[in-house]
Amino acid sequence: MADQKEIIRLQDLAYEMRQKLLNLCGSYQGAVHIGGDLSMTDLLIGLYHHALNVDPKNIKMPERDRFILSKGHGAVCMYIAMAMRGFFDYDEIVRTYGKLDSAYGMHPCKVQLPGVECSSGSLGHGLPMAVGMAISARTKGEKHRVFCMMGDGESAEGSVWEAATVAHSQNLGNLVVIVDRNRQFMTSFSEDLVKLEPYCDKWRAFGFRVVEINGHDMGEIIDAFDSLPAPDSDQPTAIIANTVKGKGVSFMEHNLGWHAGKLGPNDLAQAMAELKAAYEKERGC
Amino acid sequence: MSDSFNFGALFSGRDVIGSTLHEIGLKNDKLYVVTSDIGGALKDFKRDLPTHYIDTGIAEQSAAGVAAGLALEGNIPVIMGMIPFLTMRACEQVRTDICYQNLPVRIIGTGGGLTSGGGSTHNAMEDIAIMQSMVNMTVISIGDPNMIRDILYLGMDYPGPMFIRLAQGKADHLLYEPGSQKFEIGKGLIARDGKDCTIFAHGEMVFQAILAAQELEKEGISVRVVDMYSIKPLDGELVEKCVAETGNVIVLEDHLMYGGLASSIADYLMDHRIEPRSFKRMGIPQVYAGFGSGEELRNKYHYGLQDTIDAVKACVK
Repeated sequence: MADQKEIIRLQDLAYEMRQKLLNLCGSYQGAVHIGGDLSMTDLLIGLYHHALNVDPKNIKMPERDRFILSKGHGAVCMYIAMAMRGFFDYDEIVRTYGKLDSAYGMHPCKVQLPGVECSSGSLGHGLPMAVGMAISARTKGEKHRVFCMMGDGESAEGSVWEAATVAHSQNLGNLVVIVDRNRQFMTSFSEDLVKLEPYCDKWRAFGFRVVEINGHDMGEIIDAFDSLPAPDSDQPTAIIANTVKGKGVSFMEHNLGWHAGKLGPNDLAQAMAELKAAYEKERGC
Repeated sequence: MSDSFNFGALFSGRDVIGSTLHEIGLKNDKLYVVTSDIGGALKDFKRDLPTHYIDTGIAEQSAAGVAAGLALEGNIPVIMGMIPFLTMRACEQVRTDICYQNLPVRIIGTGGGLTSGGGSTHNAMEDIAIMQSMVNMTVISIGDPNMIRDILYLGMDYPGPMFIRLAQGKADHLLYEPGSQKFEIGKGLIARDGKDCTIFAHGEMVFQAILAAQELEKEGISVRVVDMYSIKPLDGELVEKCVAETGNVIVLEDHLMYGGLASSIADYLMDHRIEPRSFKRMGIPQVYAGFGSGEELRNKYHYGLQDTIDAVKACVK
């Protein structure tokens, strides 16, 4: 079981990260993919602040774990999680996000932003590249893992299952897929127009070891990461994280209108107040 | 193979690929082969380097993505497959995963033009238009089966992605005595000199252009044949030189008439305000070509050997 102090440390970071996300969503002149950012916030904190072996002072460290954000529209969420880990400067992200010549754009670009492993944004592309990286590590005897964060919606892309087939065929125990199963696509809810269930069974059928967790329960998140099989084992893992799109802000949760958007000052204040109240309740303040 | 050289003898480019990749792979562990259920010529590689031979199954999108992932880790992956599926099924992966990240992936496609014999599903007539439109992509078309060896060796050190087009690759015509030519990316090659007209060709069409030039010589017409194996980057200086020296230009290619080499040369001429005495495109019109051998189809669509001879005669009048 996860250490309680570690859980609290990570929860505090997740609270701080949600505030940072909302602030950016209130200050940036365009739309931010805030719904899917909030659904994977806890997962990204669990990764960048607990699970991933990375070093912001040595971004090319050969033995680092690789992280690929296949749901590239959540880039700002990754930028902030990485900034909080020391990779980037949060204030610079807020100041330049989406602007001309900024390295911080809507979808991450490896060429413009060193520290990002892989450019992404076109859905269904992350897993094939993660598989290639995992094959490389495997054939070279390297001991790091390759983590790939997907949205559930992009698992309608055939290329995901093409890559899953390769991962299974190549026995990639060093590959970890994390699915942000927030059950909302851009214009519909999962199972409404597009059926993904039985979702965990699909990954099992493709040869993956499947772990289903609550993607907002920090204890479950770090347990899933801490209990990963050794990188030189032979079965890839899929962590299916059940999440809520817009998590933590009542008017965003379960609301198709908040796939992406800009927060006005009143809504921002309300969202911040809700986050604070929930946090204080959790902490018994 | 005997050590004497016979122009036009048939030789398998795929075998050259197989032996060259095997040879490189034994020395360089950065080389990976990624295929989508293609690769009979790669059996030596597969046997001796099994961990570096990745078969994705019949799945070109993941082949391109997996190759990008391998390249992100500092490797040099070679994807082998049939051109329409690599360039169209996996088009976006090639563009976004490979070209956008400027990764040194080598994409080797077989069945260039109408040579596949498989009909329009397997014909490759749009590939150069698609591939040369991609930022960072280098586009090479192989005319002589032995050329592929030099290009693959060049490709081990060349930055960025590269698309390498072969004709059928099973039995292609030898054009050059092995070792007699130096192939460089961004250069064209005068395969046969002449002064009345230049035929710019690539791939399989270089052989046909040389045959046409040989026929025309008997009638006193002197034709220069340029092997433009490097379609992108284009050897613009050579284009200028040929226009200046021969005046008449024919571009002959087993590809749609618009979007391929002819378009690149026409663009170059227009951009540099160079007006040849005459300019003619010979290639595939706006049609899904159907069945038949490459030669039969070229004749049907008026860019066969006799058509080439006639076109030269018409322009030198």
